[in-house]
Amino acid sequence: MAGIRLERIEKAYSRTGPKAVEELSLDIAEGEFLCLLGPSGCGKTTTLRMLAGLEHPTAGRIELGGRTVVSVSDGTCVPAEKRELGLVFQSYALWPHMSVRDNIDFGLKLKNKPQAERRRIAEEVMTKLGIAQYGDRYPNQLSGGQQQRVALARMLALKPGIILLDEPLSNLDAKLRLEMRAELKRIHREIGATIVFVTHDQWEAMTLATKVAVMSQGELQQLGTPDDIYERPANRFVAEFVGSLPINIITLPTSGADGADALQRWATTALAATGASSGVASVGIRPEALRITLPGDGAAPVPDGSVPLACTVVDVLPTGGNWIVELSADGARLFAIVGAAPAFAAGAHVQVAPGARDMHLFDAAGVRIETTAAQVQTA
Amino acid sequence: MAEAPVTDSTPKGRTAPAVRPVGSWRFWLRTRATDPTTFLALGLLVLFAYLIAGPILLLLSDAVRVHFPEVRRTGLPEGTFTLYYLERATMSPIAQAVFWRPLWNTAQVAFGAIALALLVGAPLGWLLSRTNLPGKSWYSTALIVPYMLPGWTFALAWTTLFSNRTTGGTPSWMESFGFNPPDWLAYGQFPITLILALHYAPFVILLFGNALRMFDAQLEDAARLMGASRATITRKIILPMMLPSLVSASTLIFAKALGDFGVAYILGVPVNYNVLATSLFRAISTSQAGMSAVLAGTIVLFGVISILIDLRLLREAGRFQTIGSKGSMDRINDLGRWGPLASGWAMVVFLVSAAIPLFALALTTVMIRPGVFTLDNFTLAYWIGTDLGTTALRQGILLTPEFWNATRNSLWVVGAASLGAGFLGLLTGYAVARAPMGSVAVLLRQITFLPYLVPGIAFAAAYLSMFAVPRGPLPALYGTYIILVLAIMADQMPFASRAGISAMMQLGKDPEEAARISGAGWWRRLTAIVIPIQKGALVAGVMLPFISGIKALSLVVVLAVPGTDLLTTYTIRLVDNGYTQASNAVVLMICVIAFFGTLAAQKLTKSKLSDGLGGR
Repeated sequence: MAGIRLERIEKAYSRTGPKAVEELSLDIAEGEFLCLLGPSGCGKTTTLRMLAGLEHPTAGRIELGGRTVVSVSDGTCVPAEKRELGLVFQSYALWPHMSVRDNIDFGLKLKNKPQAERRRIAEEVMTKLGIAQYGDRYPNQLSGGQQQRVALARMLALKPGIILLDEPLSNLDAKLRLEMRAELKRIHREIGATIVFVTHDQWEAMTLATKVAVMSQGELQQLGTPDDIYERPANRFVAEFVGSLPINIITLPTSGADGADALQRWATTALAATGASSGVASVGIRPEALRITLPGDGAAPVPDGSVPLACTVVDVLPTGGNWIVELSADGARLFAIVGAAPAFAAGAHVQVAPGARDMHLFDAAGVRIETTAAQVQTA
Repeated sequence: MAEAPVTDSTPKGRTAPAVRPVGSWRFWLRTRATDPTTFLALGLLVLFAYLIAGPILLLLSDAVRVHFPEVRRTGLPEGTFTLYYLERATMSPIAQAVFWRPLWNTAQVAFGAIALALLVGAPLGWLLSRTNLPGKSWYSTALIVPYMLPGWTFALAWTTLFSNRTTGGTPSWMESFGFNPPDWLAYGQFPITLILALHYAPFVILLFGNALRMFDAQLEDAARLMGASRATITRKIILPMMLPSLVSASTLIFAKALGDFGVAYILGVPVNYNVLATSLFRAISTSQAGMSAVLAGTIVLFGVISILIDLRLLREAGRFQTIGSKGSMDRINDLGRWGPLASGWAMVVFLVSAAIPLFALALTTVMIRPGVFTLDNFTLAYWIGTDLGTTALRQGILLTPEFWNATRNSLWVVGAASLGAGFLGLLTGYAVARAPMGSVAVLLRQITFLPYLVPGIAFAAAYLSMFAVPRGPLPALYGTYIILVLAIMADQMPFASRAGISAMMQLGKDPEEAARISGAGWWRRLTAIVIPIQKGALVAGVMLPFISGIKALSLVVVLAVPGTDLLTTYTIRLVDNGYTQASNAVVLMICVIAFFGTLAAQKLTKSKLSDGLGGR
């Protein structure tokens, strides 16, 4: 079993300052592809380095494949070199004084494998990653993408049961990134190792992971499948962090619906219609959930129970295949995204009518409130 | 695949603040044990305490403790606290001769040398960095030559050219030309000051020149646009901003001149002109431990003061530091018709400070009577002859076993010391850059910097007080090679550790951590990853100490005995015995090694000498 278990892990760099990681507990099953997702400084890389043994927690326990590698209270600490896991660094960390083949051979030699076997394994991983012809080159003679492949090959040659990846795609250009993403997915399928992948790029997380753990300020915000994270964000942070165009957040006025702007008044009415208004402090609506219709357009009827909102189109921004539409409801801004060329231009009067299941509801602390509609949907 | 329950995914409420678990100290130890860098750092600290801090502290304490010869005179038991030596040095009848006059002479020589070096060096620094001086690139190497060679080479050249009958011995060139140099020209303060000034002028050329090169020309332009005249700009803008570099060069020269032994020994001692360094040498060679401690302590004190002033001024100057933008690109002043004149002046400086002295030295070695240009006066006998009509040293220097012995000693003693310094420097860099405990890193930095504050001859005195008797695990080392190796190595630690620290700071942790993940233990990471990657830095860290060790005299002159002669101390012995041609020949050999060593080091490390100047 090469699962990973973190129990109430805590990391503090100083006694008084804020903690880099706080009370983090995670269970990662064998074969899982877990993404640690979060903005920079959220503790995701620190968590990864603690798994690797390059840093040590100040409290808690870590189990790798059923073996306790760190337990602060028992005084257990297995050094990084004995944890037998693979790690690909953001900088790739290829050894500049060794050829590609020597880079790959280094770890195998440390395992005292016979030379014939070492050579076979090296050729195998190099072929698998398409770098067999570069065996004699030195890292500085390779492009970024090739270096990336060497780093992967070096790690894979040791056949680790657990693979850690620290933003390995962030230094690649867009096309290479797409290629390597597919490569990583293929590797995961083929070798079935447990993979923990750190990234601040939600697209990487969404497309690669079987599970995503969203972190912020050292704390776990949500653990779930990519769909969970997107469709049912556990709190406002997750809702706002995930999504290519930021989610529209409507903060409800604290007392009564009057004295608020058009958007707030609309939200209050819409919530009342769904019967789920108690305790709601803010409403989030994803831009793609806003379907724009022209008033009186019979072809696009208002969904049952939803309340239409009249808006003016402020601007239409083509992004190549998609159009971002900036809307104004009496001065309050909303963003929508549509997939087909819109039949309206700036200045047009339109309406949107998001239904109950398009609305994410959060309480005063920012925690998600489940609505009946949403529960019905997931059931 | 196990689905983790989604209910787990909401943020956890804060529980009570984590109490430090009971086992945490054990955990701390265990994590340290996985990475022995902490232990390496502590080990280095102990080593340097023994090799650097120990000797210096012991030396300083020697100044205020009763030594055996003075037990009767002071009426105190050996080792008790006393001010006897301080009083003797400053207030007794001999105080004038052993302390005050040498101190006064040292001050005059040092400040004279600084003034002259600034006068000569600053214009050259400007010519080399900001003008189209004809032959600029050639000059930028040629004018640094004096610094590559040992300073006392030029003192030997001076005696070859200007000595007179006051001290006897082989006649000088001037005498052969029928001109009798007066004493003030032949010996003492004037030639010592001049030679030190010319030897250290490269400091000014390099530091001032570099500062000018970095100077943002936009600052000049801004003042010019406001209507400032050239003179005003120079006075109000450029000079204030160049001041740190000039101060830095000055304090460096001061510290070096303070501890310089060779020049004053060759040109001053024969006419009883003493500086602190030669007075200290005399105290040591007459086994006056207390007095030498007082004199060495005085040198250390002034050395520390000058460096502290330098550091303070530099820190204050840091406020003025301008970020070089594209405006800082070389703005070259056209010298126009002044070009040839400036070039001529640079040539004069080169001839006086390097070419003529070296040429005279070389020529002397093939002349029977120096300065007599008749064909029958030329001979190769002093190099390869036999049956010279002298009492000892009856054969040419290349046929003399002592010479080859000294060469061999120099190469292996200095080689071993610089290898040690290079590796210890890299390890220090490793420990400083990687040690998880900040305080240990700071302490390591400071302790390896200590020898920089202690001029060579005082450091040698410290080594005598430490290792002349058995201390710690080592037996008495005086008269052995080991004391030479240790002293040279310790003396080079400021440069070696600085080089190691900067190299390790530039190397990120990633390559090493990648090796860790591949299963490499600490020792393997060090030998298979860190050291091979740092090969270049290591070569520099060995080469530079080697060059400066080969020409070092002040440091080894009191530590070497005839059995452990190095090239430098062998030269001094030849000088003492009046073998002019032979000593000149040996010193030329040192120059050749030092010169080509420096060039090779610059090639190998692709660095300029100026980058390593001053160890900052």
